Amino acid sequence: MVQIYNDYKEHADFLTVYVREAHPTDEWQMKSNLKEKDDVCYAQPKTLEQRLIIANDFTKRFKFSLPFGIDDMSNAANDAYAAWPERLYIIDESGHIAYRGGMGPFNYNPAEVREWLAARYGAVKHETPQAPAGATPAATKSADSAAAVPVPSAPSTSTPSAGTAPTAVAK
Amino acid sequence: MKRFIKWTAGILGVLLVAAFAGLSYMAGSPKDAYGMVRYALPHMHRGTLKVGSDAPDARIVALDGVSRFHIRERTHDRPLVLVFGSFT
Repeated sequence: MVQIYNDYKEHADFLTVYVREAHPTDEWQMKSNLKEKDDVCYAQPKTLEQRLIIANDFTKRFKFSLPFGIDDMSNAANDAYAAWPERLYIIDESGHIAYRGGMGPFNYNPAEVREWLAARYGAVKHETPQAPAGATPAATKSADSAAAVPVPSAPSTSTPSAGTAPTAVAK
Repeated sequence: MKRFIKWTAGILGVLLVAAFAGLSYMAGSPKDAYGMVRYALPHMHRGTLKVGSDAPDARIVALDGVSRFHIRERTHDRPLVLVFGSFT
């Protein structure tokens, strides 16, 4: 996502929203999160302060450049967007959902966001393979390159839902 | 009748074991299968939003922990890419 952000930040706004943890130590912890590996060992936050600590650790550790916010303890954003554990959306200028990504992690597909943006603003080519590090919270292992997906149609100011991409397809 | 119940219970038991074995294989281990069922599935929702739906609003806390803003405040004359996730 960082690469997509760098490629299209002149055309689109980005916002990362930190939601409840997916694999905290007191729930379903993953081996890859253990100290001897990724060292991402946090219990599920019970307070906003705890969420702030984790979110700040993430942004500092990965030098995460995307605009960042935190869902509060009511989980309002998570509930509204069915966001957990990770998900992507694009909201168009008229305030409508223009792209709805699939549920992560299996259908979390940044490449579809790139394709949507590329269809509208043009593709950005890279000479070298894209660096995968620090892609998104909990999505650092997700590929930013992808399988062929349906390309969104050209956007139109008269139809709010135009320029839409279909929901995510399985990788 | 008793025989029928025994057979039904037996078949259901075998199906349950097979389902758990399959889930364990998919998740990586029986522990992960349990974690998926216990902690992940209750929180995973497809949601009701569709392409073309009004984008819902929600209040977001800034990284400083003090300021607040709304998602819809960020939607103006450009598309807004929303990235949801956590650290783990």
